[in-house]
Amino acid sequence: MTEHDIAELLPFYANGTLDAADRARVESELASCASCAAELRDLETLGASLRARADASAPAPDRIFDAASARITAPSAASAVLGAWWGAPARYATAAVLVLGIGAAAAAAYHEHAVQQGSVENVTVVRDTLMRSASQSVTAPKSVSDDAPATKRKIASAVAPAAGAVANAPEKKPPHLAKAAQLALLVRDVDGTLKRAQATIRDAGGDVTSLADTTPASADAVHEATLNAEVPADRLDATMDRLAALGAVQNRAINAEDVGDAIVDEEARLRNLRREETDLRALMDKGGKVGDILEVQQQLSDVRGQIEQLAAQHAHDTHRVATSTIALALSEDRPNATPAKPGPTARIDGAWHAGLAALGDTITNLLATIAWCVAIAPIPLAATGAAYALARAVRRRIASV
Amino acid sequence: MSEADDRALLVRIARSDRVAFEAFYRVHGPALHRFVRDLVRDDGLAEELTSDVMVEVWRGAGKYGARSRVRTWVFGIAHHKAIDALRKRRAITVPLDELRDVPAATEGPEHAAVRADERRTLEAGLASLSAEHRAVLELTYVEGFAQHEIAEIVGCPVATVKTRAFYAKQRLRDALSPAENAR
Repeated sequence: MTEHDIAELLPFYANGTLDAADRARVESELASCASCAAELRDLETLGASLRARADASAPAPDRIFDAASARITAPSAASAVLGAWWGAPARYATAAVLVLGIGAAAAAAYHEHAVQQGSVENVTVVRDTLMRSASQSVTAPKSVSDDAPATKRKIASAVAPAAGAVANAPEKKPPHLAKAAQLALLVRDVDGTLKRAQATIRDAGGDVTSLADTTPASADAVHEATLNAEVPADRLDATMDRLAALGAVQNRAINAEDVGDAIVDEEARLRNLRREETDLRALMDKGGKVGDILEVQQQLSDVRGQIEQLAAQHAHDTHRVATSTIALALSEDRPNATPAKPGPTARIDGAWHAGLAALGDTITNLLATIAWCVAIAPIPLAATGAAYALARAVRRRIASV
Repeated sequence: MSEADDRALLVRIARSDRVAFEAFYRVHGPALHRFVRDLVRDDGLAEELTSDVMVEVWRGAGKYGARSRVRTWVFGIAHHKAIDALRKRRAITVPLDELRDVPAATEGPEHAAVRADERRTLEAGLASLSAEHRAVLELTYVEGFAQHEIAEIVGCPVATVKTRAFYAKQRLRDALSPAENAR
């Protein structure tokens, strides 16, 4: 082994990673080669300098991990890892979900088709349900619709326990009310009123969240529509007043739920959890044994999960307070509306179908008779043959006598 | 951290365990970041590449074949990403003459000042090396990898690693000697 060969091995002798054979060769050479020993000292000094430099370098910022973590929200290559035993069930599960999904989509499409066919009954059911829920929410809807202060009193009574709590501890918090309003109107022109209602909601800074408008199947049927919307809470009363002015109010109600306690509680718990998260992160940055790191990591993960869950609930409750919902039901004002009668085309169509059905029945009965005859015919034929043979035998005997 | 611990973490990462993923970062992230930063010599790029390496660990944990140590595997990913980024950016090594103009520390008896000066000189010497030479120095002396592991990380034969380690040290000494002589 040349001096150059030894020199090439020295860095790995210095870092202690040479295998036993190479190490023995290097050590043997070092014992007799002064320049090799000097080179080794140089390398050891260099190594110490590089390690000191590394130790003194700035720590890796947390944003590196945060960036990586944000990019791994998509499913990892876990399915590839877990192998075929997982792959097959996963495929079956996916297929099952697809089948169920397609089935649900088909059912929904069928339902939607049925509604669009002009089955006014469906809309009526929706309207009735809406009316029922509205009437259950207030005992005297007429007085509510005519008197705005009465509405406010109704809200106050609906949240009486919370209001009482506020009175006992006035410094605690203002009530956080999540409001839901219902309004049923009789109108001359459902389409036009629907457009004006949508414009009113947009003007209030709100959004229409759902709309069902069914064109009646006949000119005699009543036109009805329902609309659900969200508007900023502070504009609910004004918006309801403007909507009520669009027709004759059949029903008007507002429900309010105080979610103030829940929001205050969520905020306090979020503050505590975030403080705990900061402490755990600080603990983790100190490092330590792998077991300790994993344990702290697990706790950190749990805390983060709780924070995410609580933050979502808090956002939901806050949204409910900031935004009120309105359910508007419109019904065409037609006092003498009668059920739709079938027209001449429908009657001809009915007669044609009835004739076809009668013809089908006749053919079926005829075929059944033929089949019966084929099955029964051998018996009378045999009986007739036997009678004929008997009669002939009798005649021959008489003739011979 | 033992190799068994590393592998246990990878198994958990392969099952989409985020806790294990963060633990893996806490253990290996700092060294990976330092290694990548020394190769590309750009803090922003180094952070981006280290993040890329971690994402690669998440995605590839299940494909880890256990043919080498986990550290070797992950440093291989880091080296590949750093060299690839350098090629794309056509990074230019800093001319040696510029580095020799690095202001020297104030002459004086303070030991700390002398050490700071030595560090600055070492920094300048490292900056004058190619990324391949810096990688081998870092992997040998700081991370303590064996020659065959470095060969796997940088993707070249063991003989090339030995040659690079030898010449990297020579070049660094050459780069530092004029500065030392000048003092």
